[in-house]
Amino acid sequence: MITPPSLHRHLRSWHERMERGTISAVTTVRHPPAGFPDEPRIIGLITLDGGSSVIGRIAGISPRIGDRVVPRMSMERVNEQKLRAYDVVYEVAAPAALQEDPFVFEGYILALTGPSGVGKSTVSKVLSSALSGIVTRVPILTTREPKDGDDGEYLYVTREEFIRLEDAGALAASTRIPSVSEDRRYGYRTEDICKIWNEGRVPLVVTEMHLLQGLARSFGRRSILSCGLLPPGTSRRAMLSQLLHRLRTRGRDSEQSIADRVRNASSDLDFFSHRKELFDHLLVNDDIDAVIATLKGHVLRTQEDTR
Amino acid sequence: MNADVFLVGSGQTRFGEWWDKSLPALIEEAVSAAITDAGITALDIDAIVIGNMIGQQISGQGQLGAMTSALLPHRPPALRVEAACASGSVAVHTACALLESKRAETVLVVGAEKMTDAENTAIASALMGAGDSERDAPAGLTFPGIFGLIASRYMHDYGLTREELSLVSSRHHEHAKANPYAQFRSSVSPESVSSSAPVADPLRLLDCSPISDGAAAIILSRTRKSPLRLAASQLATDALSLAERPTITSFAATRDAFCRACEEAEIDRKEIAHLELHDCFSIAALINLEDMQFADPGQGIGIYRDGLQEMSVNLSGGLKGCGHPVGATGVKQIRDLAKQLKASKQRFGAAHNFGGAGATCCVHILEHACEP
Repeated sequence: MITPPSLHRHLRSWHERMERGTISAVTTVRHPPAGFPDEPRIIGLITLDGGSSVIGRIAGISPRIGDRVVPRMSMERVNEQKLRAYDVVYEVAAPAALQEDPFVFEGYILALTGPSGVGKSTVSKVLSSALSGIVTRVPILTTREPKDGDDGEYLYVTREEFIRLEDAGALAASTRIPSVSEDRRYGYRTEDICKIWNEGRVPLVVTEMHLLQGLARSFGRRSILSCGLLPPGTSRRAMLSQLLHRLRTRGRDSEQSIADRVRNASSDLDFFSHRKELFDHLLVNDDIDAVIATLKGHVLRTQEDTR
Repeated sequence: MNADVFLVGSGQTRFGEWWDKSLPALIEEAVSAAITDAGITALDIDAIVIGNMIGQQISGQGQLGAMTSALLPHRPPALRVEAACASGSVAVHTACALLESKRAETVLVVGAEKMTDAENTAIASALMGAGDSERDAPAGLTFPGIFGLIASRYMHDYGLTREELSLVSSRHHEHAKANPYAQFRSSVSPESVSSSAPVADPLRLLDCSPISDGAAAIILSRTRKSPLRLAASQLATDALSLAERPTITSFAATRDAFCRACEEAEIDRKEIAHLELHDCFSIAALINLEDMQFADPGQGIGIYRDGLQEMSVNLSGGLKGCGHPVGATGVKQIRDLAKQLKASKQRFGAAHNFGGAGATCCVHILEHACEP
């Protein structure tokens, strides 16, 4: 039931919803509740770039899951007392890349997913040289400053440029890492991935939960050979302390950034159990040689299968 | 369970559109049938729990505990519980607590709902009480809309087609033909489900359980023995709004409640012979089967396409075929399991009942001792 005070509370929090995002589910309600215009109403579950989700009306014709949306205020209805109620609605900015037919199989992507500090970059580096005839690392678009430990895997762009690419639909996947200290964004360009496919090679990406879901939205889940990397340890606590240890010893991050990373790692670990279907293989990264050998096996087998 | 809780009798009204029967009349009909079935007298009942969701909004009737108690000559202590569409099973769960704690020896559990008195917009608004009034409702979302969102995501993630989804309602209608208490006792072809009016895309009219009136009652006792015993009663909850969940194609409350229920009953899920699950919308049936691990994620439709040899699913007709008077469903499911176990001489049946979009889930496991 929507009462004037509840509506007021809802509107007072409009700024929390005034954010760009991606449609993660959408429906057309054919019979909206009393008080709303009596016409089909498109409502979506939107994942905002900040990581939270909201339910809101979507303005646009046949929006689809994966489409980028931008917020705006809109007059939503007039109540019995002729008061005009405004709310945040989401307008489709750019349809998701390659959305025309999500089941076109262009090739496959090898994705390594895991919490910060699990060793994704190392595994990716070693694997790309071990399989240099097959895989190519996809450059990661980032808004963060270059750092000493970086090893040519990043393309540095400004925040404005990143948002422009995102809204133009040029990014196959993007994410904003929640952080107290800075606003860091990461993404993959569709053109980089397609270029690697055109060369007849396998793109190798390093992802976390949002990037992996974004890639699955853009190219279809079937197009991803998805491997999860878990830190060693029999309990969640042991895994997190292992990550903390690794982050500290690699000496790349400040104490503040490490705290952020461990906090995010905890939700990354949940992701493995909540979204099992997004992974083909889960590996524990306790011995780099063994992990590389296993991954090599998976890639070579998939090469056989897709040939 | 901290005590043996036996199911000694049950009764119900046929579910349907009962314009000439009031909420108390429906309750009285179900209660009388249950007392007769149990072979006890009204005076043997020493507590009543009634599950109801929208009596207050639709019939302007609160105090359902006192109202039901007044139907019996000695007015035993009575209370009403609410957990949206799970009100019925939560009433059973509450009754178990009264019995296990030795507050009562024999408890009458009633689930009742009167829904056809009000126009559709009033019903839709009352049912939205199961969602999050501060996060979901202001956008103009309805309950079918919530499951429309879930279905859209499910189809996107797993590639389920509209034609496949239509098998679910069609199968439930087929089962309901044999149930004299079901609201709809006619076949519905998958094609007619696919071509029914859209309600909340991709869901169509025949994906949705109907608006129904009805009541069901069971009598639970720890002193009166019966071959039917409740082996587990587990309750679990989750965030109300879809916007607060990590995934919308799986319900954590179902996973928790079902897993704990199997542990409590000390059984493996494979031992369950009959399952009554909460198919308020067709898509929910598939998600439930996956959450209870009878199918892998995205593979629930296989059970409707290929059938399951070892376990029956919604043999009563489910919510779609039987009708869904929200508060009555959870109680009726247990009554249906009892009938199915007696007929098949099998040992275990499970009832899965949830409220809202799986924000409350209650799972009961009924054990049938074949040779008492």
